[in-house]
Amino acid sequence: MAAIRKSGGVVPFFWQGKIVDPRNDEFAEHLSLQRFRTIENAASEEVSIGWVTPADPTGDNFSPEELDGGIGTWLRFRIDKKSMPMKWLQIHRDAAEKARGKKLSAKERRELKDDLMDQLLPRVLPTITLVDALLFEERKTVLLFATSKSAKEAFGKLFFETFSLQLEPADPLQSGLRSDLSEEDKRTLERVNPIRWPNTALEQGQWRPVPVAAAAPPNTERPVEQNPGEAQSPQPQASPETATATESTEHEA
Amino acid sequence: MSQANQGAETHGFLGEEFLTWLWFKWETDGGEFTLSGGRIVGIALDDFLSFAALTEDETEQTLRRGLPTRTAEARTALRQGHRLRKARVLIAEGERQWTATIDAPTLSLSGVKLPDDAEECESEMDRTADRAANWLALHEIVQALYRLFLKERLHDDYQSTGAEKQANWMAL
Repeated sequence: MAAIRKSGGVVPFFWQGKIVDPRNDEFAEHLSLQRFRTIENAASEEVSIGWVTPADPTGDNFSPEELDGGIGTWLRFRIDKKSMPMKWLQIHRDAAEKARGKKLSAKERRELKDDLMDQLLPRVLPTITLVDALLFEERKTVLLFATSKSAKEAFGKLFFETFSLQLEPADPLQSGLRSDLSEEDKRTLERVNPIRWPNTALEQGQWRPVPVAAAAPPNTERPVEQNPGEAQSPQPQASPETATATESTEHEA
Repeated sequence: MSQANQGAETHGFLGEEFLTWLWFKWETDGGEFTLSGGRIVGIALDDFLSFAALTEDETEQTLRRGLPTRTAEARTALRQGHRLRKARVLIAEGERQWTATIDAPTLSLSGVKLPDDAEECESEMDRTADRAANWLALHEIVQALYRLFLKERLHDDYQSTGAEKQANWMAL
């Protein structure tokens, strides 16, 4: 078995609540319940997503040893997708239309497609994607080694189905809320507004480098987004409510 | 999963401010940060910068290769008040060095390169353990740096202290 990757993209997620200890057999049993199931012989277009292990891509075997990722737990899930090759459909449709000497009706095209799917899909092999993740139980953190939206969604769904825990991406809000900031700072974080930096690429004398807070949402207190420099500024610096308008005026200048 | 998308949408700007702040700190303070527990890490911006558009109609600007932070285009973007949306950064702690592109609105990382495997690694299992530790360390460093930024950013005096200093630097 090869070692875990040492390059690529990673998306961190957090969870709240307790997860089964990955060193226990029970953890492997949870994965096993949501193991990957093959669609190799399926006769319809479908997607199969489930856990496998780094050592065994079939999803038939799970044991805590196979999930050993040093200080973390090495998870792997597999996404198989079987779909009708559109080129084949086009070839068959063209042949049918050529034989008939005219275009097929919508109904005939649908029937042809259904017939071809029945014939061809059992012979089509699914595409396979293996995605890794490192789970750190004590930190309630999991690092997903994929950045695509579909992989993130598939992982979140599979994780929830397996452990009944909702994953939260470690975005700027969640990362702040999960940190050891004070409760007051966390409340401020939830309401904080962007700093609008002044456009100083203008003629000298037309600007003063004082950051301007963006407009606050209605009915929202903004303890942080004050602009103390505004009152001192010799130029008519943008007030929070007019920052954007002032910016466009500056551009014109 | 919808919650997270919401977090990136509502607070993605904070990630952009964080990344721009890293650049500011690197240029003005040398890029060395002392994290909790006394860990000292060094940060430098590398060969890729992407600036967020100020409005939806504006064009995003991307600078690649060489030293983009030294270019006139980068200085102009800062003077115009642009924040960084993505940047490739070098992160060093002791003898370990990572490179990664930080996507500011989501704080996800792409194009990561971990430090070389430790010399003591004799088996694939050893390598996995070593790399897992390095992946976690990278994640924790980014989170710790972001926390440092937030401590400053959420302070009552931020507008008249850190933000004004950064505005002066951006105006250079």
